[in-house]
Amino acid sequence: MAGFLISVIGEIESADFPGYDNIYCKYCFTCGTDWDITSGLEEGISQVAKRSDNGDELFIWNFPIEISFKGTNPHGWPQLILSVFGLDVFGNDVVRGYGVCHVPMTAGKWKKSIPMFVPESSSFLQKITSWLTGRRPEFIDLRVLAQGEGREVTQVRSQGKVYINFNVMTKDFVSQGLDNSQHSNQMIQDLSQLYNSLTLY
Amino acid sequence: MAELYIFGQIIGAKNFRKKSLFCKWGIHVGSGWQLLEGLKEGQTQVDHPGYDEVTYWSHPIDIHFATKGIPGWPKIHLQIFHYDEFGRSEVCGYGYIFVPTSPGTHLIVCPTWKPHGKFYDKFTEYFIGGGPQLRSPEIIFSGADRFRLNTEPTGSVILELNVIQKNFQKYGVETY
Repeated sequence: MAGFLISVIGEIESADFPGYDNIYCKYCFTCGTDWDITSGLEEGISQVAKRSDNGDELFIWNFPIEISFKGTNPHGWPQLILSVFGLDVFGNDVVRGYGVCHVPMTAGKWKKSIPMFVPESSSFLQKITSWLTGRRPEFIDLRVLAQGEGREVTQVRSQGKVYINFNVMTKDFVSQGLDNSQHSNQMIQDLSQLYNSLTLY
Repeated sequence: MAELYIFGQIIGAKNFRKKSLFCKWGIHVGSGWQLLEGLKEGQTQVDHPGYDEVTYWSHPIDIHFATKGIPGWPKIHLQIFHYDEFGRSEVCGYGYIFVPTSPGTHLIVCPTWKPHGKFYDKFTEYFIGGGPQLRSPEIIFSGADRFRLNTEPTGSVILELNVIQKNFQKYGVETY
């Protein structure tokens, strides 16, 4: 069966992480079994960014993403998984946040803000030992973030946001009988405004 | 048969009085619908907001249905629970949404409610926790048996749903 293509170009623009100073970001894409990556990098690590000292206090990465996917079945749509790391006072690499979002479905320009969260220690004692040893709870397999199963036992603390710009092009959806266009009376522009307003709460 | 792909996220919740929330979700369809791939129900992680007042779950949903007809269009029903420091969970809200019928990306805010009891229930809820809850979750998404309920609003859940339709046009169904 002939497939369809989506091509994503964009950037991991910036992050808002109150309380931290130097952080960097890893990204990786994950998709279902009916999908393949045809070009571009599946994973990447950004530079270490310092917090800006002008009013907005954002971390700027301006880190490029360029990737194309070929799929035969929209189920298992590609997702972008982000993990943000920084150094703690002892110089250990510590995770500061995980986040996940779907690649936008419709062609066009999209701006997304991705909420980030870290897993919490399950007890107070573990909290202290993990602070001392620098071994905080982490996800061993990042793909868990993109799955709906096995999350019941996890406790997380949400902190920080990462801002991403996507430009998406799609090919051969219509010829497969698939309708992935944006038709609701909300235009794409309004939607990205809505996303931005979500960050204001 | 026409096919419907739904994927997206239960992004989070806002305006709940309590923090440390998690959400049980499920999708309900009529008898003409067939689940081909994906999970029909699930439970999110517990989030303790550290950044702002919004609870974030980022819980992925990815489902593929085939259908013979429109009746029984999918509904997503949600149950929000509060997870307290003793490891107990109590109901904080119920809500449902219809999956949007037009293709595209939709950001949906689902308002939620919970049953509220008489003075005695309020009293025990204040001191012990808990409170009245629904015996069968079907009432969340059916309109048949609601008239005896007294409820109060609790908060909103935010979802992002992407909808792709296959062959709806072919069968002459106009969805936009």
